[in-house]
Amino acid sequence: MLLDLPVLEKGSFYFIKDGNSAIILEDKTKRGLEIKETSIDETLKVKADKGMIHDMDGIGHWVPIRWYFSKDSYDLSNVQLHANAMEKKYTELRELTCPQDDD
Amino acid sequence: MWIHEIMSYAHPEVLVDTEWLSQNPPNENRKLVEVDYDPVNGYQKGHIEGASLIWWKRDINDPVTRDIISKKEFEALMSKNGITADTEVILYGDFNNWFAAFVFWVFKIYGHENLKIMNGGRKKWELENRDYTTDEPQITSSQYVAQPPDEGLRAYLFDVSRGIGKEDTVMVDVRSPAEFSGQITAPPEYPMEHAQRGGHIPEANNIPWATAVNDADGTFKGVEELRQNYEPKGVTPDKDVICYCRIGERSSHSWFVLKYLLGYPKVRNYDGSWTEWGNMIGNPVEK
Repeated sequence: MLLDLPVLEKGSFYFIKDGNSAIILEDKTKRGLEIKETSIDETLKVKADKGMIHDMDGIGHWVPIRWYFSKDSYDLSNVQLHANAMEKKYTELRELTCPQDDD
Repeated sequence: MWIHEIMSYAHPEVLVDTEWLSQNPPNENRKLVEVDYDPVNGYQKGHIEGASLIWWKRDINDPVTRDIISKKEFEALMSKNGITADTEVILYGDFNNWFAAFVFWVFKIYGHENLKIMNGGRKKWELENRDYTTDEPQITSSQYVAQPPDEGLRAYLFDVSRGIGKEDTVMVDVRSPAEFSGQITAPPEYPMEHAQRGGHIPEANNIPWATAVNDADGTFKGVEELRQNYEPKGVTPDKDVICYCRIGERSSHSWFVLKYLLGYPKVRNYDGSWTEWGNMIGNPVEK
């Protein structure tokens, strides 16, 4: 079970978990989303579990839920780069929608 | 489904099956309309030959205020789709025909008579490996004059509030048990459809929409099974029945079942549904 895997690192918006053959990066904002397919994510070029989110207009968009970085090709520092980028993106989005009053 | 089962519905004329449609394609007097929630992953990838598109969000909802389109906008939509007041219209769509049922409900609000649903929708058509096309039909626009809205088909917040505690009114919550109990307000796939509170309208019965259809192909169950689905829970023809879900589309599917397949005389769809009820300050909520 993915839930039981040891957590190597966590942020506000991600987990990095230690899988058998891969380091797994999970997007916490996609928690609970049904996995509809597992295929290569064109952005990060690694295998990813994907689900679909429907926008205001009802249009479904494929979104990665978690990425599998093979241990043969990636180490933790590589994955952390992607995790930090994700953390920055979501933090900025949160600031945009819920800005701090004391800023 | 056997022909005698279809004929035992209160209004069998509101249904066609996939085989019938394949033998009776659209023509000048018979229009086929696909109703999609997600046309990018539905109609645009392929649809039944001759079908035009009604995009639920864009075409059937007011673009600014949360409401269905006005009579004038409905007339314009019909004209754009080449439909006149006398045209036989067959609706089908994605997501188990939920949105096709919603559009059926709107057509009835504006008085369109000759209206049908293709039983099973895209799901059944695809299970049967029937053909799709990406060609869009050439449509000559028409003149359409709608009837004044039949408000007797629609329940508003006020009607629902008044119905609570009344012996002759019964509420049918067609959402999943997890939504009914308040465990979730919306699945993660629909982040725009949450409410501030989870639960259900007091005294509502949870009869999920899916209990009215056959799992295998999404077609409606037969009359006897449908009766058994509703009557033991007090949803009987002598009551004023109000159906609701989250945004009113699944409940229009159950509204269709109760009104047209079982022939209940007084059934209304509360399209404000949980996204209205569960967001209003002070509304009573049961868990």
